[in-house]
Amino acid sequence: MSKKNTGGSPKKGSNVGNWFGRIFFGGGNHLAAEMEDQQGRAAAASDVEEIISPGQQIVRNFMERKLAVGALIVLILMFVVMFVGPLFMPKYYDAYTETTQQNVPPGMNMMAIPQELKNDIKMIDGFGSFTVGLSNAGKVYVWGSTKISTTGVDVSIIPQEVQDAKIAMVAAGIDHIVAIGEDGKVYCWGYSKLGQYGTASEALARGEDLNPNIAYMPEELAENGVDVSKIRRFTCGYQCSAILMEDGTLYLWGNKLTYANIESFLVNKDLVDIDFTLNYVVGLNKLRSGVTTGTRGLYDMVRPNVSGKAVKIRDYLDGRTITSLTATSSSVGLLLSDGSVAFVGDFATNVVPAPELPADEKFVQLVGGSYHYSGLTDKGNVYSWGSNVLDQTNVPKNTSGVSEIYNGSFQTYAADDSGKLIAKWGLKGYVFGTEAHGADIFQRIINGGKMTMTIGAVAVIISSIIGIIIGCLSGYFGGKLDILLMRIAEVFTAIPFLPLAMILSAVMGRMTLSESMRIFIIMVILGVLSWPGLARLVRGQVLVARESEYVTAAKAMGVKESKIAFKHILPNVMSVILVTLMLDFGTCMLTESTLSYLGFGVQYPRPTWGNMLNGANNATIINAYWWEWVFTSAFLAVTTICINIVGDALRDVMDPKSSVEK
Amino acid sequence: MGKYIVKRVAYMLVVLILLSFIMFMIYSMVPSNRAFTDANSEIKTMKNLSPEERKTKFEELYLQYQRKYGTDTDNKVVRYLRWVGLAPLYDGSYDGILQGNLGWSYDYQQPVVEMVKTPMWVTIRLNIFATILALGITIPLGIRCAVKRGSVLDQGMQVVTIVGYSLPTFLISILFIWVFATRLGWFPPSGMKTPGSNFTGLKYWTDYMYYMALPLITMTFCSLGGMTRYVRASMIESLSLDCIRTARAKGLREKVVIYSHAWRNALIPIVTLVVGWFLGIFAGSIVIEQMFAINGMGKIMINALRSSDFDVVLLMQMFYVAMSLLGNLIIDIVYGFVDPRVRVSK
Repeated sequence: MSKKNTGGSPKKGSNVGNWFGRIFFGGGNHLAAEMEDQQGRAAAASDVEEIISPGQQIVRNFMERKLAVGALIVLILMFVVMFVGPLFMPKYYDAYTETTQQNVPPGMNMMAIPQELKNDIKMIDGFGSFTVGLSNAGKVYVWGSTKISTTGVDVSIIPQEVQDAKIAMVAAGIDHIVAIGEDGKVYCWGYSKLGQYGTASEALARGEDLNPNIAYMPEELAENGVDVSKIRRFTCGYQCSAILMEDGTLYLWGNKLTYANIESFLVNKDLVDIDFTLNYVVGLNKLRSGVTTGTRGLYDMVRPNVSGKAVKIRDYLDGRTITSLTATSSSVGLLLSDGSVAFVGDFATNVVPAPELPADEKFVQLVGGSYHYSGLTDKGNVYSWGSNVLDQTNVPKNTSGVSEIYNGSFQTYAADDSGKLIAKWGLKGYVFGTEAHGADIFQRIINGGKMTMTIGAVAVIISSIIGIIIGCLSGYFGGKLDILLMRIAEVFTAIPFLPLAMILSAVMGRMTLSESMRIFIIMVILGVLSWPGLARLVRGQVLVARESEYVTAAKAMGVKESKIAFKHILPNVMSVILVTLMLDFGTCMLTESTLSYLGFGVQYPRPTWGNMLNGANNATIINAYWWEWVFTSAFLAVTTICINIVGDALRDVMDPKSSVEK
Repeated sequence: MGKYIVKRVAYMLVVLILLSFIMFMIYSMVPSNRAFTDANSEIKTMKNLSPEERKTKFEELYLQYQRKYGTDTDNKVVRYLRWVGLAPLYDGSYDGILQGNLGWSYDYQQPVVEMVKTPMWVTIRLNIFATILALGITIPLGIRCAVKRGSVLDQGMQVVTIVGYSLPTFLISILFIWVFATRLGWFPPSGMKTPGSNFTGLKYWTDYMYYMALPLITMTFCSLGGMTRYVRASMIESLSLDCIRTARAKGLREKVVIYSHAWRNALIPIVTLVVGWFLGIFAGSIVIEQMFAINGMGKIMINALRSSDFDVVLLMQMFYVAMSLLGNLIIDIVYGFVDPRVRVSK
C-alpha cells in the first residue's frame, strides 16, 4: 500500500509512526495487529462476535453517511407530504382560478387588521387582495397584499394629504383606493393608468389623448367634492368607482372595458343603491322592486337561497320591497323589507347555503365579498354562506353582540356598536402566494408533486420491466439473441430523447385524448425511451453472475434455463438494479419537468412541478413574481438532489470494491 | 481498422434508415392533410363558381395536390419511399430526400433547408463554445478532485456537482437569469445581440460574447455536474491500476504518473462521454435557446412543433438522429485509436 492511499483513508488516522513501523517490521505484522485491535474493539462493544449479513453491512455503511441519511429522511418526508397531503385538501381542484387574487405574494397578512384600528372601526372595505379600513378618528389603514403586480404601485403608501385630512369614507377597488374627506374632497391613490381615477382635464394636462375606453372622473366631483352627509352609497369595483347621492345623482368613473353595461349607468339613472359584480354594474331601482342592469333579461330571476328554482322577481317579492343590494363576483344578494334575503345571479356548486333563521329573527345587514355573503341579524348574530373555498364562511363560535359587519374580498369583520372588533374570519393569505390564475401555489405544489412523482415512478417501473427482461435474456442466453437485443438497444439510445418525446407529445396533442390518457402516454413514452441503460447494466451483471458457481450448480441440478435467469441470477443482481432505478426515478422526474415546462408534457390545469414553472420564462416575471418559481423549484430541486444523494450513497455502499478502498 | 470502420458505417446506415422509417410513421400519425389545406385555400380564391362546379373543381384540385405531394395513396410504405425518393410520384418523377428535396416549411414559406441554415449556424457556434469551455473546466477539475481525493476542494465539488446534475437545465437557467441578469445586472437576460445594432468586426464579437455569456455559463454549469463526476470516477479507477503503482515504484514524477499514465487510461471512458455529450448538447440547447430567446435549432423546433409545421420537425428529428449516430460512429473509431485492445481484437 502506498503512502498516499493510507493517507487518504480517514479511519486509520495515518501517522508517521505507523508508517515507519511498517517499513521496519513489515506490513503484514502490522496489519494483523491492527485487525486484531479492531476485532478486540468490536468484541468489547458487543462481547459476542457478530455475524453480519451483506444486507446488514450495507445498512450499517449507509447509516454512517450522515448526509445520505438526512437526504433519505427528507425524501421520505417529501413522499409522505405529497401523497398524504392532498387528502387534507378537500377544497382543492385543479382548474381553480380567481381573477382578483392573481400573483399575490406570499404572506399571511390579508386579515391582519392594524392594532390601532381594532377598537375604533368606522368602516372596512376590500375588493381584491388588499383591504382598506377607516377609524373613527378619520385615519386610513391599508393591509393585505398591497403591491399591485408589476406596476410598481403600492397602495399601502397613503398620500400625505390623505394622512393629514380627516377622512369620512373609504372604498377599495382591485388596484386603487378612493377616500372622501369630511369636507367632501375626494382622494384617490393606487394604479391610475386604466382610468381608475383622474379627470379628463388632468389627462389632457399631462399631454395624453383621451381614451375612449375610460369614463373619466367627473370634473365637478374633483373640483367641488361632495356633501358627505348626502352620500347614500359609496363603492368601488374592478377599476371602477361609484358615489350615489341621496338625490339620485350618480358619480361613476373607471375603466369601461371591465364592465359590459357601464354605458347605461353613465347617463343618470334613478337609483337608490349600486354595486359592482365582476362583470356588471348593478343598481336598485327607485321603486325598490328589481335590479337594474341596463341589460335585458339579466338578473330578473330570483331564488331564495344559493340553490333551488329561480322565479320572476316580481312574483317573488309579492308586495315586499328591496331594502338594499350587495354584489359578489357573479351574484347579487338582496335584503328584503321583511328581513329575509334573496339572490339573483349564479352560484357555483358546493357552496354553503344561507341559514334558515328562526321565526323571530331577521336580517338587518347584508354584505358580500367576492364569493360569500355575511348577514347580520337583529339579535346580533352573524351568518356567512356562499363559497367556502378560502374559509370565508367559517364564522367563529360565540360571535354575538355584533352591531355592524364589514367585508373584505374573502374576509368578514364583525364589530360592536363602539367600533370594537369582535371577530374576523376568512382568508388569512397564502403561504407561498398565488400564481397567474390566482390559485394557491402551496396547494398546487403538493398536488403537483404527487403528479410529478407518480409519473416518475410509473415511467421507471415501465422502463425497468423492459430493461430487466431484455437485460436478463440478453446476458443469460447470449449469442444471436444478445446481438439482436443490444442492437435494438443501440437504436433506442441513438434517438435523441428530448426531441422525440416532444414530437410524440405534440402528435398526441393533435389527437383527441383525455387528459388522464395523455398523462399515461407520457409515462409510457418516458419509460419506453429510457430502458436501454438499465438493460445494458443488467446484461453486464448477468454476464458476470452466469459464470459463478451457484449457477453452475443450478445447471448441474437440471434447473430450467429461464428459471436460472430470473430466479437465481436476477435476485443476485437486484441490489445494483435498485440503485439504478432510484437514480432513474430522479432522471424521469427531471425529464417530465422539462417536458412540462416546455409545454409538451402535462398541461395546465393539471399541476406538475414542471408546468407550474411554465410562467417563469422571462426576466420580468422571474424578478417580479419570484414566489411563483422559487418555492416550486425548491421542492423539485430538494427532491431530485436527495434522490441523487441517496442513490449515490447506496451505490457506494453496495459496491464492495469502493468500500474496501475507502 | 479499415474493415472495422466500413462495418460500422454500414451498420449506422441501416439504423438510420430504420429510424427514418419509424419517424416517418410517427409523423404520418399526425392528422394533418396538406393537399386538402392547399386545395381548400386555392378554391377560396376562385370566385363566381356554382356549388356544383366548386365541388368538382375542388376534387380536381385536391387530387392534383395529392399527386404533387405524393399522398394519393394510402399505402404508407409507398409514401415513405416517395419521401426518401425511391418511388416515383404520380407523374413518374422522383422528388424525395435523395433528390435534395428536404421539405417545405409552412410557417416560413420556404424550403426547410433554407430556413434552417442560419439557426443551425447559431446553434453550432454556441455549442462549440460551450464544449470548449466545459471541457477546459471539467477535465482539469475532475483530475484534481481524483488526485486530491477527500480534500476540501473535492468535497466541495462533490456537493456542487450533485446539485449541478440534479437540477434540470431550465431551473438552472431561471436561477442564473435571476441572479446574474436581474439582480446583479451583469448580463442581458435574453437575446442574441444589442437590438437594432449592426456591428462588424471586433465590436460584433464583443457584443456577441456579451449576449452569449450567460447562456454559455449556464450550459457549462449544467454540464459541470455530470462531466466532473465522470472524469473523477474514471480517474480514480485508473489511479488504482497496477501500472500506476509500477510507475510510482519506478520513481517517476507524480505529474508524469498522473498525466501520462493514469490520464491515458482514464481517457477511454471519457471519450465516450465527451462525444456523446457534445451531441447531447444539441438537444440540451433546446431548453437553453428557449430560455434565452436564442434563435437556434431548438427554438425552431419548438416553434415548429407548436405550429404543427411537421416537415420541419421531421427533418430536425432526422438531423438529431443522424448527429447521434454519427457520434456513436466517432466514439467507436476513436476507441480504436485510444484503446489498444479494440485495435487488436478487430
